[in-house]
Amino acid sequence: MILSIEELSIGSRDRTIVDGVSLAVREGEFMALVGQSGSGKSLLSQAIGQLLPPNLRASGKVLFEGADLLARSPREMRALRGKRISYIFQDYQGAFTPFRSIGAHFDEYQKVHGEKSRTARRDTAAEALESVGLDAALLRRYPFQLSGGQLQRAAIATALLLSPRLLIADEATTALDSVSAHRVLELLARKQRETGCAILFVTHDWRHVRRYANRLSVMQEGRIVESGGKHRILDHPQHEYTRKLIEAAPILGRSLRSGLGEEGQA
Amino acid sequence: MSRQIAERRDARSAAQLPGAHASIGNSSPVLIVDGLTRTYAGAARPAVQDVGFALGRGECLGLVGESGCGKSTLARCLLKIEEADAGSIVLGGQDIAPLRGRKLRPHRRKIQIVFQNPAAALNPKLRIRDSLLDPYLRLGREAKLSRFAFASREAYVRQLLEAVELPAEIAGRYPHELSGGQRQRVTIARAIGIEPDVVVLDEPTASLDVISQGAVLDLLTELRASLGLSYLFISHDLAAVHRMSQRIMVMRSGQIVDRFGADELFADERHPYTRELISIF
Amino acid sequence: MKTMFLRTRRIRPESKSGTRKSRLQAIVAALFVLLVASASVYAFGVLKHDPTLTDLRARLLGASALHPFGTDHLGRDVLTRLLLGGGQTLGYSLLALGAALIIGIPFGLIAGYKRGRIDRLFMRVADGFLAFPDTIVAIVLSGLLGAGIGNLVLAIVIVKWVSYARLVRSTVLSESQKDYVAVARTNGLSDARIMSRHLLPHIAGNVLVLASLDLGKIILLISSLSYIGLGAQPPTPEWGAMLNDSRPYFQSRPELMVYPGLAIVSTVLLANMLGDVLRDRFDVKKEAQP
Repeated sequence: MILSIEELSIGSRDRTIVDGVSLAVREGEFMALVGQSGSGKSLLSQAIGQLLPPNLRASGKVLFEGADLLARSPREMRALRGKRISYIFQDYQGAFTPFRSIGAHFDEYQKVHGEKSRTARRDTAAEALESVGLDAALLRRYPFQLSGGQLQRAAIATALLLSPRLLIADEATTALDSVSAHRVLELLARKQRETGCAILFVTHDWRHVRRYANRLSVMQEGRIVESGGKHRILDHPQHEYTRKLIEAAPILGRSLRSGLGEEGQA
Repeated sequence: MSRQIAERRDARSAAQLPGAHASIGNSSPVLIVDGLTRTYAGAARPAVQDVGFALGRGECLGLVGESGCGKSTLARCLLKIEEADAGSIVLGGQDIAPLRGRKLRPHRRKIQIVFQNPAAALNPKLRIRDSLLDPYLRLGREAKLSRFAFASREAYVRQLLEAVELPAEIAGRYPHELSGGQRQRVTIARAIGIEPDVVVLDEPTASLDVISQGAVLDLLTELRASLGLSYLFISHDLAAVHRMSQRIMVMRSGQIVDRFGADELFADERHPYTRELISIF
Repeated sequence: MKTMFLRTRRIRPESKSGTRKSRLQAIVAALFVLLVASASVYAFGVLKHDPTLTDLRARLLGASALHPFGTDHLGRDVLTRLLLGGGQTLGYSLLALGAALIIGIPFGLIAGYKRGRIDRLFMRVADGFLAFPDTIVAIVLSGLLGAGIGNLVLAIVIVKWVSYARLVRSTVLSESQKDYVAVARTNGLSDARIMSRHLLPHIAGNVLVLASLDLGKIILLISSLSYIGLGAQPPTPEWGAMLNDSRPYFQSRPELMVYPGLAIVSTVLLANMLGDVLRDRFDVKKEAQP
C-alpha cells in the first residue's frame, strides 16, 4: 500500500465537497478515479500533495508510505513533491512557463532537487525526453512551438524525471483528442512498467483508462460509490451511477467494457 | 477546368456518390461536396484536399479524424465561414461555393453548425432568449417553419427549449449561468430552430463530461428522426461516430482515406489507419 | 519543483460584501464628479456674481458673507469662478474624451474585425499618432492655430483617439475569433450588426475603464496647459488659468492658489477612483464568467 487515504473530507467553511472518502493505491498499480466534473475527484488528488486552494481544508488521513501527509509541513511537502510524488495536469499548456525553453525547465527541476553537475543535468534531460518518444532537440524549443500531445509527453517526462513512487495524473488526457490521448496513456503505462511507480489517474471518461487501469473507483458528489477491479466494475457494475456512467459513453461493441476478450487480443 | 480533371471527377463521383458502399436512401442527396480544397497561406500542404461526399436526406454521415486533420476546416468551409480555394458545395441543388454576401443569404438557412465548445459559441453578453432568436430574425422569417412555427418570440423560444429538453426559465439567463451540457443544448436549439436541411456537428460532445455526452448524443439522434435533419457528424471519437452514423468517412492530413457503411467498420478491407483507430476504442 | 508549481490557480471572485462595497464607491465617486459639474452649471444661473465682471475697488478681498472665498486680483468672486471653472475644465475634458471615443471606437472595430489591409493601414496611422507626446502636440497646435481651449481640445482628441482605437482593436481581434461570431455570420448577420450587437458589448467595459482613468489625465492636461497660457484664455474662469492668475499674489493671498489647486487635485483623484472602481467591477464580472 503506497498510498492510503482514510476518511478524507475536504470543504470550505460552509460546504463539504469531498465527504469521508477512503481509497488505497497499491505499490506499482494503475488506479483510476472516475467521476463527473464537480464530483470532487480533482480536489481529492490535489489534497494528496497539499495543493488545495487556500479556502479549502482537508481533514482525515493521507498515508503515503506509512506517514500522514496532511500532518507534514509545507517545507517537507516541497521536498516530497517531485521526488516521491509527482503530478501531471490536464492543462499541459500551463505546465511550462511560456517564455522559458523546455530544457530550462528540466534543468531547474534537477537543480532544485540537488543535481550539481550541469552536464549530468543536460544528459538526464535529453534521456528523459527521448524516453517519452520526443527528440532531444526539443529541449531548445519553447512551449508554444510544441503540439498538445508533445507538450503532454514532455510534462510526463518532467514528472518522471526524479523517479517518483507515485504519479498523480489529473485529467491528463482530457484536453487531447482520443488518438493523442491513447498514445499518451500507452506511454504512461510503459513508463510505469519500466519504473514500477504507482499511478493514480483521475478522469471523467472511463474509456480512457479501460485498457490500462488495474482497479477503478467511481466517485459521485464527493463520495466513492463503487471500487474494485477493472473487470468487476466495468463489466459487472453494481451501483446505479456506475451503470449510468458506463452506458453514457459509447465504445465499439465487440468486446467487454473492460477490454477483456477483444478480438485479436484475447 | 481541363477535360482530364473533369473526367477524373466524373469517375470519382460515380465511385463515391450514392451506393458506393452503403446506400443513402431513395431521395436525392441534400448536400453534395466535390473536390473541396483549402490551403492556408504559408502552409506546405492543403488543410483540406480534394474532399468529396454526398449526404442523403435524413442521414447521419460520420467524419472521423485526429485533431489537425482538417475536419474543422472542412466544416468551416461548408458553412462559408471560410472560403474554399476550389471545389463545389451543392446544397439543395445550388452550388453555394462561389456565392457571397446577399446572394448567399437565402441559402444560409439550409445549413447550420454546432461547435465543440459551447462556451465560445454563445455570446456571453446575450441572454439565451436572444441567442436563440438571432437566426430566426435574420434567416427564418422568409421560410415557412413547420415544426417551430413562429407565433410570438416567447412561444418560439419556449418551443425550442422544449425540443432540447431544457426548462423554459433558462430563456432569461446568460450562458455562464448554465452547465456545459445545458449550453450545448442551447447551441443545438439555435441550429435547428430555423429548420435547416443540414446540421454540421463539429465535435459536439468533446467538451462535455461522459454523462452529458451520452445525453447530448441521444438528443441529437432523436431530433434527427423527429425533424428529418441530415447530419455531418465530425468527431475524433470513433465509437461515438459509429453509434450515430449510417456511413463513416475517415480523414487524415486533409484527405478522406477511407469510407464505408457503419456495419462494415470491422471488415477486412479497412484502411490501416482506420484499423489503428479501431484499436483505440 | 514540478509542474504543479507552475500551475495557475483560479482566483475566486470577490466575496459579496466586497462587490457591494466597491459598487458603493463607484456611485459615490460618480456622484461627486456629477456634483462638481452640476454645481458649476447651477452657479451660472443662480449666483449673483458675474464671474468675468472686474471691480478693482473690490480686489483681493478676504472671505465675507458676500464673497465666501474672497475676490481675486480683478475683484471677481472666487467661489463663482471656481464653480464655473469646474464646469469648464470638466466639460472640455468630457468633450475631448467623447470625441476621442467617437473616432476611436469605430476605427478599432473595423480594423479588428476586417483585419488584413485595412488593419495594417490603421496600425501605421496609429503608430504615427502615438509617436507624439500629447503636450508637444498641444503646444505645436497652439503655435500653428493660436492658443485657445478649442485647439487644446483638438490636440487632446488627436492624441487620445488612437489609444481607444487600439484597445478596441485588440479586444475585437481576439473576440471575433470565437465561434459565436462565426455562428452569427452563418446566420446571415451583416458585418455592421455583428460589430454593433455582438462585439461592441465586449469592449464597453474596457473602454469605460480606460476612459474614466483618462478623464483625470485630461483634466490635468487642460489645467496645466491653461496654466502656461495655452488653454483657456482670460477672462474665462478655468482652474489652471486661475492658478496662473493668482501666482503674483502667492505671498499675500496664498489661498487664491490653494482653492483651484485643491479643486484640480480632488477632481483628478475622484476621476481616478472612479476608474479603479470600474476596473474592479469589470474584472470581477469577467472572473465570474468561465
